[in-house]
Amino acid sequence: MWKKKEVIPDYITQNISEDLIKLVDMVKIYDTGSIKVLGLKRVNLTIKRGEFVAIMGQSGSGKSTLMNILGCLDRPTMGHYFLDGIDTADLPSDDLSAIRNRKIGFVFQSFNLISRTSALKNVELPMTYAHISKKAREKRALGLLERVGLGTRYEHMPNELSGGQRQRVAIARALANEPPLILADEPTGNLDSASSVEIMELFSKLHNEGATVVLVTHEEDIAAFTNRIIRFRDGSLVSDTPNIPVSKREKEELQEPEHQSGDALC
Amino acid sequence: MLRENMSMALHAIKSNKMRSFLTMLGIIIGIGAVIAIVSVGDSMRNVFTDAYKDVGLNRAIILVSWEVTDFRNSDYFDRDEMERVKEVFHDKIAYIDTNSSADTEAVNRLKKVKYEFQGVDYNYTDVQPQNIIYGRFINEADVKKAANHVVLEDKGAVELFGTADCVGRTFRMTINKDTQEFTVVGVYHKDLSPMAAMLLGNGQKQAGFIPDTVVSPKGAMSQVLNFYVRDGVNMKEFQPEIVKYIAKTKGRKESDIRVMSVVDQMGSVDSKLSAMSAAVGGIAAISLLVGGIGIMNIMMVSVTERTREIGIRKALGARTRDIMIQFLTESALMSACGGVIGIILGVAIVMIGGAVLKTTVIVRPSVVVMAVGFSGLVGIFFGIYPASKAAKADPIEALRYE
Repeated sequence: MWKKKEVIPDYITQNISEDLIKLVDMVKIYDTGSIKVLGLKRVNLTIKRGEFVAIMGQSGSGKSTLMNILGCLDRPTMGHYFLDGIDTADLPSDDLSAIRNRKIGFVFQSFNLISRTSALKNVELPMTYAHISKKAREKRALGLLERVGLGTRYEHMPNELSGGQRQRVAIARALANEPPLILADEPTGNLDSASSVEIMELFSKLHNEGATVVLVTHEEDIAAFTNRIIRFRDGSLVSDTPNIPVSKREKEELQEPEHQSGDALC
Repeated sequence: MLRENMSMALHAIKSNKMRSFLTMLGIIIGIGAVIAIVSVGDSMRNVFTDAYKDVGLNRAIILVSWEVTDFRNSDYFDRDEMERVKEVFHDKIAYIDTNSSADTEAVNRLKKVKYEFQGVDYNYTDVQPQNIIYGRFINEADVKKAANHVVLEDKGAVELFGTADCVGRTFRMTINKDTQEFTVVGVYHKDLSPMAAMLLGNGQKQAGFIPDTVVSPKGAMSQVLNFYVRDGVNMKEFQPEIVKYIAKTKGRKESDIRVMSVVDQMGSVDSKLSAMSAAVGGIAAISLLVGGIGIMNIMMVSVTERTREIGIRKALGARTRDIMIQFLTESALMSACGGVIGIILGVAIVMIGGAVLKTTVIVRPSVVVMAVGFSGLVGIFFGIYPASKAAKADPIEALRYE
């Protein structure tokens, strides 16, 4: 608005690394003033482009802390976090904003759509901050809503949509700037199991189309959709195992009534 | 991005219509009051300026100063002296008289009306045109013969004779301790707006014109000479010339001679009035400050309410600056909207007032521009703190906010 030419460093706009996520001896300590709390202990982790990964753990295991760091909402205390080859440890907050904008698509448990704002406008939002023209934004947002199966509901406000539909809007929004990484924090936590399966199938589809998806969950059923499961306990990475995604038959099993445990586990 | 911010701000204002309106009310009243007060002040000045124009902008009086300690009889002016001045400066002076007037009571049978007659020369209408509705003005013969002829204002005529059409009617009055019969030769009408009448304090006395030879006959003395310069003569440049002449004839120092011109007086009244209207306008501007604080207050509430939205925006890539500008745009827009409504309100008040008082009102465009600009600035200034509070929010905390 102040006619200042936006200069986004090239390293933010280009995809340069095969290792999309690389954590090296990463430590996070929370300084609450009187006591220092160790959030994450020396985490070493690499996630390659195109993977579909679940990060699991009980509450307090450090998975939320990891999520915040992976999402560039927080910085590691020690060690390094390379996102697409960029060391995020020392970047100023405006550069982190630019990285979140171009490199990461967020999907949250509570959807986090902006209220009283249409689905279309919500999807356009990341593109607004990327200074994409109104026309291009609208066209792309409509295409994305189409892709998540909400092509006709673009004018609806979030409160006029069901939970599953809201999460679809959020996923469309996450895809807006074609980020290399989709970061989903308990994306099915507020959904019934039918919607959960739909959303997970959508993630699977995105993964099959080449997207890198990292999702945080504490539900085995959800993690079962992914190709790799990383478990955390008490701030440490305790296991990292490949996983064969659930077959079609198992998905149907998940849809059965006795399995409606999504909300109960929150 | 600017358009995007504007539409976001508009959206936010619209989604809380009542609250936005109440917030704007402070600015609306403030701007409305400033515009109304300054415009009333301007209109009053205009009335005074018109009144002075009525008196004649090229008019002045000259006299030996009231400050001299040794006032002499020769310091008075008589008719011969006046005629000489007229002769000497005939190319500069359009009209001159001895500034005579008769304060008296006109009697028509049982009817008595207080009058103040202005003694004039026959060519007075050259410098002060009169709207004669019946008969004629004082003519050369009237002045030469010192005829007992008068010209009355229509409303005074109605009071004395019951009709404005009273040419040829006679009445008695006492001038210079001598009661005589006078004949009406003309009636004029003068337009005076209610506001001007109120401000200029049109007293109980009725007005009229009489040959000045009747009021101040040959040999009568006058302390001042009243004159009008010709069109195109600069009063300021002419003053020293006439002062020099009068000083010489009176055997006085030039510094003892005073010239008081209408232009000078008007300037001083005008500057006093404009200072007054600026002062009152300034006081009204304080209400703008109060309005600004109202905006700040509601913006603080809005920022707190929308903490989560701020968190979402930041997570999606909004920089500190983007959030700052978003909220500043909102507060500035809210304030500017208030300003525009305030202008409409203020102008409406002034227009209605002007219509009621039958006075031409002036709303200076510069005042309007300043009012809008100022209200926008108020919005930005009082928006800075809430906006920076929003911009500094930690995205993790903000996203967790319920």
